[in-house]
Amino acid sequence: MFSLSTFLDAFWPLTLAARYTLLVSGLGIALGLVIGAFVCVLALSKSRAARTVAALWVSYLRGVPMLVQLLVVFFLLPVIGINVPAIVAAVVTTAIVASAYISEIWRGAILALPRGQTEAAIAIGMRPRDTWTRIILPQAVALSIPQLINELILLVKASSLVSVVGVMEITRASQAQAGVTFRPLEAYLAAACLYLVINLCLAALGRWLEHRMAV
Amino acid sequence: MVEASSVEIRKVNKYYGDFHALKDIDLSIPPGKVTCLIGPSGSGKSSLLRCINFLEEYDSGEVLIDGKLIGYETPGGRRMSRRKLRQMRSTIGMVFQQFNLWPHMTAQENVAEGLRRVRGLRKAEAMERAAQALDRVGLSDRMANHPARLSGGQQQRVAIARAVAMDPRLMLFDEPTSALDPELVGEVLNVMKALAAGGMTMVVVTHEMGFAAHVADQVAFLDAGELVGVDAPARILREPEDPRIQSFLRTYHERNVI
Repeated sequence: MFSLSTFLDAFWPLTLAARYTLLVSGLGIALGLVIGAFVCVLALSKSRAARTVAALWVSYLRGVPMLVQLLVVFFLLPVIGINVPAIVAAVVTTAIVASAYISEIWRGAILALPRGQTEAAIAIGMRPRDTWTRIILPQAVALSIPQLINELILLVKASSLVSVVGVMEITRASQAQAGVTFRPLEAYLAAACLYLVINLCLAALGRWLEHRMAV
Repeated sequence: MVEASSVEIRKVNKYYGDFHALKDIDLSIPPGKVTCLIGPSGSGKSSLLRCINFLEEYDSGEVLIDGKLIGYETPGGRRMSRRKLRQMRSTIGMVFQQFNLWPHMTAQENVAEGLRRVRGLRKAEAMERAAQALDRVGLSDRMANHPARLSGGQQQRVAIARAVAMDPRLMLFDEPTSALDPELVGEVLNVMKALAAGGMTMVVVTHEMGFAAHVADQVAFLDAGELVGVDAPARILREPEDPRIQSFLRTYHERNVI
């Protein structure tokens, strides 16, 4: 039988654990945006070497499962003499994986702008710096909002993977809860509800941002 | 009104890969006059126009604005520095077929942008000058609108205001009315006529033969990358000698018979 009280009791420990889910995915996307911007600059560069670096970065991080990358980072860092808590390995992995997708989102948004947008700026005598900050980036960022929110939602869900290296986030906490109560269905259903609530909030945030930045 | 520029085009050649797009073009564009470039599509008239502000690089020959070579330090020599090129471009206004307004800015901000970033005006002054420029093209009641909320004709008038606000000495128009619904063409042509009457040097790539006939001081006909003829509109449009011009005009007249 489904126990409603066990189900409801599971929410408190899981909500505490949700802090780590939000920390890993939030910090992951924040760092991912910064690294992604840098990779995007390399990908759009005139230098062939820079473009190759960007292509390698993107194809490795997109082509290898995140779980495997997480394990690689987790076991690699101590080998090269970096001893950090599991949470750091989790954030680093999330950030670099996110950066690969984000750089592609931004590259796509920038290339989607009509050539005439830049030509109008060049024809008027604008500097490249102003052309980027005033004309290209504001439009590219607005265009990329739906995809960035999509990526953020994917990251929140993918953060369940970091449970395998021992970070006590929602999924790990629900496993612990199931072990203590011998009621796995209630524990995992509570976890499902929490993920859903978080992601519905993010989707709402996305719609609000899209509306605000509509051009 | 600032002084109007002259343009000298000498033996200009342009290739796209193997395709010879402009062949030894020679053309004098006198100051304060309107020159229309006409010809079939793919004849090179837009490419030639875009060579004048070096938006398109020409491969050989010279394009001189008021006697000053644009794009290269010396004929056939090193590329000119980007700073010098920007300086020259800032005195040449350009209007595009697709308007190319910046969609994330209002009409007034579109016009003010160049004044702020290129001329270095403070925001308040740039917005004030933008308002005046928009007033001159009859859009003082549309200044706060974003381009998406304007008709094609209004957008193109904003684009003209954006170029004119920079006090250019030369204006380039690349098929300014080709993307417009027929009933909106007139308002844009009227703004261009007013500009011409004010003594601006204008180079206009157009399919509007009426505009060429009534406003242009000279008409240049291009075909397959060659400059076939340059003359006063009355001569070139009414009594063309070259069979290629005759055939082009015949097609044009047939298409415009109701």
